[in-house]
Amino acid sequence: MFRFGREQSVVNIAGVKIGGQPGELPTALCGTIFYQGHRIVQDEERGLFDQARAERLIGRQEELSEETGCPAVLHLYARSIQAMEKYLDFSDGIWKGPLIIDSADSATRAGAARLTTELGYADRTVYNSLSLATAEEEAEAIRDSDIDSAVILAYNPAKPGVEGSIELLETGSQVLDRGLLPRAAELGLKNLLIDPGAMPLGSGAGAALRFSVVAKSRLGLPVGSGIHNAVSAWPWLAAKDKTTKQCCDAAASAMQLLSAADFLLYGPIESAEFIFPAAAMADILVAEAVAGLEVEPAAWHPANRLV
Amino acid sequence: MQGDKHFHDSWPPVRGDYEVGDAGSHVAVVTLASRIFPRGSAICGPCKTENLGIEKIVANVISNCNIRFIIICGAESRGHLPGDTIMALHRNGIDEQGRIIGSKGAIPFIQNLQPEAILRFQQQVEIIDHRGLEDIAQIEELIGRYSRLKEPYPFEPFQAVKSRPQRKMVSTGCGDLSLGCGTVMDTSAWLVMQDTCEVNVAAGG
Repeated sequence: MFRFGREQSVVNIAGVKIGGQPGELPTALCGTIFYQGHRIVQDEERGLFDQARAERLIGRQEELSEETGCPAVLHLYARSIQAMEKYLDFSDGIWKGPLIIDSADSATRAGAARLTTELGYADRTVYNSLSLATAEEEAEAIRDSDIDSAVILAYNPAKPGVEGSIELLETGSQVLDRGLLPRAAELGLKNLLIDPGAMPLGSGAGAALRFSVVAKSRLGLPVGSGIHNAVSAWPWLAAKDKTTKQCCDAAASAMQLLSAADFLLYGPIESAEFIFPAAAMADILVAEAVAGLEVEPAAWHPANRLV
Repeated sequence: MQGDKHFHDSWPPVRGDYEVGDAGSHVAVVTLASRIFPRGSAICGPCKTENLGIEKIVANVISNCNIRFIIICGAESRGHLPGDTIMALHRNGIDEQGRIIGSKGAIPFIQNLQPEAILRFQQQVEIIDHRGLEDIAQIEELIGRYSRLKEPYPFEPFQAVKSRPQRKMVSTGCGDLSLGCGTVMDTSAWLVMQDTCEVNVAAGG
């Protein structure tokens, strides 16, 4: 819970506003579907999945969003372009909000950028992500597409930590010839969501918290993270029961929101059930913490809905 | 070294998603993205990332001199390519920035190991490439075959030290709370800002 001297920009993606001063806008919550190992997927390569279960998961995220006021974003992960095509075709029928397109494979990400442009989804698509790993071929696909929103992954393995991530964004640090922010501008990306790339606990996970505050102060851009990765990669927790894991996941999310995050890549969409209430509670606490500091929560903020 | 064991009692030093078998075996097994656990090796586990995951493998391998072979098997993790990256690290090492030379992985960097640890990794073990192999019986046969081929590495176990940032004094400038990167907070106004005081002073402002 902070108030920033620098003006905080707000992006609008398919009607969802992300950014601003803490306490102003509710946190955008991005749930991932069709992720690696997702039980509803029968064939990751061809994109075969249980449509009824997928529809229920997306519908439940939307319900929780409407109930809490925290906007939902659908994060589509695909192993291949063939699978991405199936997922986009399916989601079009049931989800009209922002979409994040994602894959571990750069050719699939590039193909998805072309595909969303052809299908007319580009204005509600967020490309995940522009990073140190984005090679020229992939960059060309982004430049040639109509997509103008992206997650900017500020993970700098050559200089881990807050300073290294800021340098990667601004100057390219020692590993790129220019920063990711100027590169994003060259590629036509305007709505930027800054993500430091949450590390495992013990490898610097906590840096994501300080990074959020520093990045908003220096850049005035929306910031968030996939802090749940720190929780899911914690070997000590792996042997614990489901409730314990969910408590840690919710706590990590709330801590990230307390550290000024505007969006959360909260992991498996099944987690919506406990992440939305935890995030809504954190949003209310932050809004109440900055009350009297000239920051007013938006009309649809959980502070104006749930209390 | 602990007598003839060729590893310390605390081995393996780095926690992770792996199973420890016979620490006296000459073979470690990396199953990449496949969750399979063949028997007979010193240590066996998956590796899905081309940076932190590989650092853990190196640290746990070079701290046990019995390990002379790493069998890489299982399905390669798409995009990240840890199998390709382990082989590139073993073959080429890293550059000044820590980038693993010749890796096709997405973000192939080593950040927590000193150069001596990489050199030791290259000298102590041989990589046996069986990427794509998921048949447990065949992998166990390979483990049995390579277990008999070499003696323990004839030096002390190498304890890879995690690099830690040095403590430094941080100026809070105009604020009374520093968040780093020139970002300070005036807690009385609950305001986070970029620190300009030192610049103003230097400029006579």
